[in-house]
Amino acid sequence: MNEVQVETPTVADFARTFRRIQAEVHKVIIGHEQAVEELLSALFAGGHVLIEGVPGTGKTTLVKTLGIALNLSFNRIQFTVDLMPADITGTRVILSSEDGRRDFSFQPGPAFCHILLGDEINRATPKTQSALLEAMAELQVTVSGTTYKLPPPYFVMATLNPIEMEGTYPLPEAQLDRFLYKVRLNYPDESELTRIISSTTGPEEAGVEPVFSVAEAPEHLESLKKLVRDVMAAPAMEIYAARLVRATQPQNSRFVTDEAKAVHDEMVNRYVMFGSSPRGAQALILGAKVRALLDGRANIAREDIDGIAVSALAHRIMLNYAAHSDGIDASHIVERVIKSVRAARV
Amino acid sequence: MAFPSQGKRGDEKLGLILAQVGSVRRRLNSLAWQYAMFFTLAIAIVAGAIIYVGAYELSSLQFLIGSALTLILALIAIVTSIRRAWRMRTSSALAASIVDQRAELKDRIATVVALAGKSHRGSLWSYLIEDTVSHQDEFAAPKIERRRVSRGIYALAGALLFAALSFPLSRIKHAPQLAAGQTVDDLTIDLDDLHLRAAEPGEDTGMQVSADPATMRRLQEKLLRENPQSGDTAGNSLTGMMNHARDMAGRFQSKLTGQQAPKQRLNLRLADNGGGLDRNEIARAPDAQKKSRKDVAGQFEQNKSETSEKFNLKHGADAYGQPAKPSGDHEDTGVESRGKGNSNSQDEASNDHSSDQNGDSASNGGVAHGIGADPGSLFGAPTQARLGTEGFEIAIEARPVDKGAKSSGQAYVPPKVRTPLNANQEPDEPVARASVPPEDRSTIKRVFER
Repeated sequence: MNEVQVETPTVADFARTFRRIQAEVHKVIIGHEQAVEELLSALFAGGHVLIEGVPGTGKTTLVKTLGIALNLSFNRIQFTVDLMPADITGTRVILSSEDGRRDFSFQPGPAFCHILLGDEINRATPKTQSALLEAMAELQVTVSGTTYKLPPPYFVMATLNPIEMEGTYPLPEAQLDRFLYKVRLNYPDESELTRIISSTTGPEEAGVEPVFSVAEAPEHLESLKKLVRDVMAAPAMEIYAARLVRATQPQNSRFVTDEAKAVHDEMVNRYVMFGSSPRGAQALILGAKVRALLDGRANIAREDIDGIAVSALAHRIMLNYAAHSDGIDASHIVERVIKSVRAARV
Repeated sequence: MAFPSQGKRGDEKLGLILAQVGSVRRRLNSLAWQYAMFFTLAIAIVAGAIIYVGAYELSSLQFLIGSALTLILALIAIVTSIRRAWRMRTSSALAASIVDQRAELKDRIATVVALAGKSHRGSLWSYLIEDTVSHQDEFAAPKIERRRVSRGIYALAGALLFAALSFPLSRIKHAPQLAAGQTVDDLTIDLDDLHLRAAEPGEDTGMQVSADPATMRRLQEKLLRENPQSGDTAGNSLTGMMNHARDMAGRFQSKLTGQQAPKQRLNLRLADNGGGLDRNEIARAPDAQKKSRKDVAGQFEQNKSETSEKFNLKHGADAYGQPAKPSGDHEDTGVESRGKGNSNSQDEASNDHSSDQNGDSASNGGVAHGIGADPGSLFGAPTQARLGTEGFEIAIEARPVDKGAKSSGQAYVPPKVRTPLNANQEPDEPVARASVPPEDRSTIKRVFER
């Protein structure tokens, strides 16, 4: 494999590249600015994204467009109830050589790519869903005792359909926790819908130009991901993120200690069964770093953390029955937590 | 990205940022200490004013409790304000955070200050410094925190105003009492009407009683009769401590108000009422040279300061069948104030008392008491009234009580009675004056002159 030397990007390079990718995606995707930004943010932060939206809101199109814009290898898995783990990771098959010998050979599954789209991931069984865990967390898959590395950058985007719940298997908490953000795609407004109609029903479809060349794309993305990691976070910011995460944990949850500084909102104690895991804090800081770079800063601010908090924490919070009956959403909880932690700021 | 301060070295730029943050921090800390100082002063002034007003308005016991409570509350408030000021102290990190917040620098300064001391700062450190320095005008100390006086000054001003109003108002309100304190009259009551109780430990009002032995004996008997368990109270240390504390509070109260201290030497002198002799006659008697000892029949001699109040409460007609006279009359007859010094008057009083007990003084009762020792006064009119120790009048000086003991702060304290004679002593009995034949007068006179 040829080593491609990429110049170390600057803060300005990052913002420029980010905006360019964003612009290419928006050639196809009308609206959903925040969703696209969060999607790209997760990509540069090195995480994975769970996209939730009703049918027809452009979930699959968004992911495919992103793959084209980044010029990275892209695979799509349509999750169904009969999908098996080997269908994702790959399996060992017996192959006959020219001399007639038969050997077991590993056939990589669709997981072996840079960008993986898991469409309607909640339609597969938990066993199959869990096949993605190792790939998402450790960028590797293990088949028959052999571990195979996945080529970086590795970016999993899974979609969820929230209304067709029959015959679905809600994702286990462990798998939900591995997604950096959960992005919601809502119905487009009137103007957006008009633009969608005109752009998709005309004679020409918008063409997306790749931002990187095929050879340089992985290295470019990796160097930009490294730059994100170099953004500085003052201890106060880390403390703030930690407080946010701890504030989502109700008093009786296993995450809560009796530390005096813990901030507990009454709403959290009433509606939350389990709060965010430490991965939530990591997601906050990484997402904040991307936002800081986009703002031309080399340091994160509280505003950056707040801006990404709902997407980073909402899907990590398990609500109880009272919340469902009262129509309380996890995003409400997070917004409330942000307010209470801000108010308790020293 | 080009920055105006690009030419400067990174360390210099870092130093510039830290210096500006340090300047802001000093200003914030100065406010914290001002806050502590102003509030401490304000609390102390308010507490002092409350105690001062309390000295006028409250009795000794109320004043004692009120002052103690005020001091405790003031101490708590001072400690609280100092603790609050201590918490208001600004660290470098907090100062940086405040700078970020006020200059809207999105935590740039906080990050620089937090990471300045670390060895590994990352590849974007120089970018962060350059970026922050480019905003240096926005976080200049005068822009972030202007030099000003802490808002605690309002508390101090309020306290000063309170004190400025309360001090003169208290004096104006109690001016009549203060003025009344300049004049003192006597109080004359009959011994039989006097309610006596033994003084409790610590209840030293400075009052001493001296009288002729018979009167003192009567006083003692009366005391024993009225307070048969007076000896038990001596061991009551708690009551003694209470009384001592009350006395201390009273003295402090008097010092504050400028009124006479309640604990003053009060010398009561009991003697025969002198029959039908006029007081002026007694004063003109040869024994009047002993005026310094203030031996006057039927009168208590008091030792009070000039500021103490004196008034004469006549309990019926006095021993001379005359209406009660103002204090000036008493001074003429040897009853005068001896408030110049407690120690002197105390010594004097004890001398008087000892001489009374020894019986060698002519002041041991009767009209001729104190006169017969002078040969020039040997021959006068015969005694008309029956001699004895009955029917004495006792003059007691007391302070006016305009609002009762509770509000005046001067509870009634009966006189301390000393045992006049020991077992081996006999009281002198007054000698009846009789008519002397003219031919024997020269002989008798010679005997007494010798």
